[in-house]
Amino acid sequence: MSARITTKNELTITIDGKVCHGIQGDTILQIARANSIYIPTMCYLTKVQPIASCRMCVVNVEGVDGMILSCQEKAVDGAVITTHNEALYKERQNIMKLYNVNHPLECGVCDKSGECDLQNKTMEFAVASQSFTARDMHRPVENWGFISYDPALCIMCEKCVHVCNEVVGDNILAISVGGYKSTIINTRPGEECSSCGECMSVCPVGALVSTDFKYTSNAWELQKIPSSCAHCSSACSLSYEVKHSGIGNHEKKIYRVTNNYEFTSLCGAGRFGYDFANTGAKRDRALFTSAVEALKKAEVIRFGATITNEEASILQHIKESYGTALVCDEARGYQKFLEAYSSVSGKSLYSGSLKNLSKSRGIIVLGSKINDDNPMVKYHITMASRRERARVVYMHPIEDAAMQSIVTQFIKYEAGSEEGAAALLAKTLIDTKKVPSEIAAYLDDLDIGNLSAESNIGEDELEKLSKSLIKKSGFTLVAGSDLYNHPRAESIAKLLAAIELYGDFELILVPPATNALGVSLICDLDEDKDGYSVGYNAPGDFVLSAMGSGDIDMPALNQQEGTLTSVDKRVVPINAALAYDGYTLNNLACGLGVEAKYTIDYTEHLPVVKGYEAVAFDDLPDYFDASGNEHRGYLLHSLDAEQTGTLEEVADLPTYDGGVVYQCNSGNQFTSFTNKSKKLGTDDKLRGSQQFATLSKLNDGQKVRFEINGVVYERVFMIDTSMKGTIAINPYADMGLSSTTVSYYRFNQPKLEVMDS
Amino acid sequence: MSLEEFKNRNIGKQNYVKLDLEHTPQTPLGRFSRVVRRTLKGELFVGLYVTLREMINALFRGEMHTVKYPLEKLPISPRYRAIHDMLRLLESGHYRCIGCGLCEKICISNCIRMDTRYDENQRKEVSEYTINFGRCIFCGYCAEVCPELAIVHGGRYETASEQRASFSIFEDMLTPVDALKQQKEYDGFGAVSPNADENIKKTPLAY
Repeated sequence: MSARITTKNELTITIDGKVCHGIQGDTILQIARANSIYIPTMCYLTKVQPIASCRMCVVNVEGVDGMILSCQEKAVDGAVITTHNEALYKERQNIMKLYNVNHPLECGVCDKSGECDLQNKTMEFAVASQSFTARDMHRPVENWGFISYDPALCIMCEKCVHVCNEVVGDNILAISVGGYKSTIINTRPGEECSSCGECMSVCPVGALVSTDFKYTSNAWELQKIPSSCAHCSSACSLSYEVKHSGIGNHEKKIYRVTNNYEFTSLCGAGRFGYDFANTGAKRDRALFTSAVEALKKAEVIRFGATITNEEASILQHIKESYGTALVCDEARGYQKFLEAYSSVSGKSLYSGSLKNLSKSRGIIVLGSKINDDNPMVKYHITMASRRERARVVYMHPIEDAAMQSIVTQFIKYEAGSEEGAAALLAKTLIDTKKVPSEIAAYLDDLDIGNLSAESNIGEDELEKLSKSLIKKSGFTLVAGSDLYNHPRAESIAKLLAAIELYGDFELILVPPATNALGVSLICDLDEDKDGYSVGYNAPGDFVLSAMGSGDIDMPALNQQEGTLTSVDKRVVPINAALAYDGYTLNNLACGLGVEAKYTIDYTEHLPVVKGYEAVAFDDLPDYFDASGNEHRGYLLHSLDAEQTGTLEEVADLPTYDGGVVYQCNSGNQFTSFTNKSKKLGTDDKLRGSQQFATLSKLNDGQKVRFEINGVVYERVFMIDTSMKGTIAINPYADMGLSSTTVSYYRFNQPKLEVMDS
Repeated sequence: MSLEEFKNRNIGKQNYVKLDLEHTPQTPLGRFSRVVRRTLKGELFVGLYVTLREMINALFRGEMHTVKYPLEKLPISPRYRAIHDMLRLLESGHYRCIGCGLCEKICISNCIRMDTRYDENQRKEVSEYTINFGRCIFCGYCAEVCPELAIVHGGRYETASEQRASFSIFEDMLTPVDALKQQKEYDGFGAVSPNADENIKKTPLAY
């Protein structure tokens, strides 16, 4: 073992005779867990601040009277700690007895039975009799949509409240304090809850359970299939839990999704939107031949970015063998954006990561309705806001009510003026820093007054922004999908690169679709062109579809093995939870002469020149260690790139007068796969403010028809009272194959035709 | 008799007794007269009397020594593990099974399977329940683990039928509602011990 370098940040404590190392600021419990020393807890949840409601984690510290709560007590160098002795055992046993006062004896039917902390700890501390008592009272079950709450089973550990406030940022759950009468209350039942199910996942007992899953299966019957979420670019770690569909049907079915809730989170789409498998696919030789023929004669393969890295790799191989053009609307803009970014930053990949984002003290979000585009990024911003008291500057043309509790400054700019906003940001954030002369000259040349007027970002707002960040360190800039297909995307990319390079900022370019990052690294994408086309989850003359609507079926992302490239620049494995009997893309490729036995044979041949590693699929790790460090797949390597780009002069900012329609899926909808999920419900309304309604002469409930980028939408217009301004939100996840053809700027001004009802 | 004696196969040293039997007649007349003598002996009627007595007892006094299987069956020990029965609650008549899944879990031949759901009365309902008697080894674990004394071993020991479905449907195993009064508590594996009451520790009620 190499000698340990002791810095002044490190400390050494002795726990139960074992010498443990930690870092200044670590709690006793954190150090114990990192060193595999067991301290029982009931309310401790690693991903939130210590709750300290259970007192199970008490320990003795030499030289200190009484018992210390190890979850919140910071370790002091040289401390000698005892975690288990007679007195501590009695204390913990009494706590467990108290938890069991009037706890309904319904383990036989409770969903949590078998994975219940209360059951486990009651057994562990051998609670054989009860010595405490309280008068029981009637506590009816409450139904909160996806989740039902049984106050009689609740042990008031408060994990759910903390996770709702500190991680999700919804602030929906609260504690009604009243001694034995205390309960968890839903402050805004039925509305505004993002239905993420985080509260349910952290509940140690059966108090918060999924309404849908309730009483359908016992925990021990379900087989866990570790995988990654397929709905957005966060590719969160999750487990599909499968069991036979029923007595008469032996086919496996996904009953629920769980996650390692100590360290990770899921949004509602990940947790409840698991029923998107392409079922009923069969092998039909004739169809196979026609699919191979179609691929052979195809001039264009058009595909969505909700595919694995391996499939992207297969498509790239087909391109190399047959010269077929690859068109991926979802990833093309992003690829070009990354290229432009690299030309200034000198690196192939952006620097930020979600973990660092959650530790940032200053965060700027530009060009994304981040709460809907990528909830996991929003969760990490919330964590930074709650724990680090981070300044969160949210720059977007639409004010988002869901972000209100975490945003410290909202900067509204006009739709279309993202380039101006980026330039103003660059001016504000790096003008004072040491920058090369040409950039200094560029910043000096900016017509701030004009940009500020055109984009509607006040100079005072920028001044406030720069002042609020002045005494802080650890900044992250989050950029989103409004920018990638912006007409001036390249210029914006270069400006963001400059901010990252000279402004001490970490940058996260949130990929616009599940595997947009992977596709843009693996495939050489082409511009769309005419000719015979094959669509893979996209429109074409011959359609391969995992949605079940095409000419030949393909497996959905919960029916196949492979890897995804996440926003964290991590290559994460996905596993097949459900059976699939049809053909895969690899089968078709074999028919074309691009041979590999399995799709996952491509995993170790992912392009090393783009930052991938030559690791076989079966060698990819997929776990979290005791300290919560992620060991899923591997991190992409950021490679050096040539710094050939220069900042471009800001073009005239376009103006969007009148009503604007913003293409954005909301309410746990991301793709046509989430749309397919029956549990998530549908989002198929054009939503706008009263102001938009007046401006566009629309009434609530009126049916309108409009066309954006060749796709005709027929939508019911709904006035959303939580919205302001002249921009309406139009979802596109329900548009089937054409939902993947988003190669255009997200703000549009289509002609709205009122349809006769 | 010790083992050594038992193992002693030396028959020559045993104490054989020579029976004092009459000599076998040598002449045809002698043989004929022996047949006549034996045939007309009164002992025959002693035997016939015993048969007649037992016949009268069986037919008219209800003292039959055999059962008319399969029309009649002998009672079996309560500890015998035959085809399962599903019991009902005596008060409400509702089936006792709460769908906890323990029998399904403990079953070592994996022959129990159940579907449960959240019903309209906010209870866990057993929507389907089957035991595959082609695989069941009648180990009794399910009856032993059942916390509600719902699944027990009944008296149907004939594990042959035209079709397996005759046994494996929940309704078939369940006590018929009209036969609720005849439902007997089970004394075999998993039954409440006779001194169960003495072992209960009561929860304090301070208020």
